[in-house]
Amino acid sequence: MPLHFLRWTLLGLIGLATTTTVGCTRWIDVIPSSTSQQESVAWTIPKAERVSFVMDTFRVLQNGAPQNPSSEMERRILNTVQETRLFSTLVPLGGTGASLGEKVVTARITVEETIDPHSGTAAWKGFVIGASMFLLSPVLALDYDYAAQVSLELERWDGQVKRYETRSAGTVHYQVFGATPIMISELKGQVTEAWLTDLMDQLVRDTGFYLASSTPLPDSPSLTVTVTARKPLRSPASLSVLPVSASPVR
Amino acid sequence: MAALATPVLAADPSPTITVGTQEIGLSAGYLLPQRLTKHHTTKQEGPALMPSWMMTLTDPVGDGWYRGQVSLGAEVVYIQFQKPVLTHGIGFTPKIKYTFVALDRLRPYVEFAGGPFWSDLTDKVPEESSQFDFVLTAGFGVSWFVTDQTALNAGYRFHHISNAGTSYPNIGLNSSLPFGGFSYYF
Repeated sequence: MPLHFLRWTLLGLIGLATTTTVGCTRWIDVIPSSTSQQESVAWTIPKAERVSFVMDTFRVLQNGAPQNPSSEMERRILNTVQETRLFSTLVPLGGTGASLGEKVVTARITVEETIDPHSGTAAWKGFVIGASMFLLSPVLALDYDYAAQVSLELERWDGQVKRYETRSAGTVHYQVFGATPIMISELKGQVTEAWLTDLMDQLVRDTGFYLASSTPLPDSPSLTVTVTARKPLRSPASLSVLPVSASPVR
Repeated sequence: MAALATPVLAADPSPTITVGTQEIGLSAGYLLPQRLTKHHTTKQEGPALMPSWMMTLTDPVGDGWYRGQVSLGAEVVYIQFQKPVLTHGIGFTPKIKYTFVALDRLRPYVEFAGGPFWSDLTDKVPEESSQFDFVLTAGFGVSWFVTDQTALNAGYRFHHISNAGTSYPNIGLNSSLPFGGFSYYF
């Protein structure tokens, strides 16, 4: 075997070891929501003042396209709501609230996810990295963006509605040998944690609004509900709550 | 205490390959000569073995039949030349692949690879003059996902071996390589 071949093989192996070691890094940047810098507040409320929380609507859109909401995300939202100890009982989507009493808060959540994997750039950089025999892998980082715009609408037993909004975004920067599906999960997890934290901060600031003694039940407990067909979505920005309205009967 | 229900989710009909999904594979085939000009006289042939690693770079892009994703990886190619004389060749090639994902479990792909190649055949044939060469391959194939993580592959590659003008003669050895194999995704 010629000497120059051995030399090139050795150099190649050293280069490969270097690039696979240095090229394995990844890190995540999460942009906090605009309201998350505010000071958090804490309330002490009697247990009897707490009412039930019923998940009424949970919608997820990905780059504008409606998605099947995952039970994991719903569970995570409910767990976070439960951690606030603001509500006595949490009822998930499709659950029955028949035994909860008359004072309940119904929740409508819309999560608009925006995903940008920078596919064109990744493909081009991948070609360059491959053509360089992976030597450029430590210097050519790839990006994956994920953002979530969340609106939470809470309707009190007397029909009053409060709407909360938050947004968080993040980017995972990774080298080609550091890529793994777990990094996408980590990114989504951190972004989700950011908007959940901000949303709960906003919610807790309105604690007084959700106390059982904050307002009595309406004179007539009978409500009418008008259900209409869902209108086609024009754009993610035009999305709103489900077209369900409730008003007391006189 | 919250009682959490589990919504019924529709079953995913196709495997989900996302950014960062890695693939290891093993393919085997048989190299057949392609004498494209009158200067190509060698009828080289023999079995080839190709272990590979790939990493998915993109989520599916595009709409319609060409919807697909790009993956980047590397492959070792070993060829046992049984003709014209029993010799061996081994190479290392970075590889890029575009996989069409519109057909769910049946996924055609095109691939391109190139890299250094050493063989003790190539200094014994009139087309080449050195043992250290380069191999370039371009091909297509199809993957059939038998499970969400395992696929069977079959395809065809065109192989070109030459020394990039580092010595003469440098006519090059061209070959066809039909192959089959399997991949595991994780």
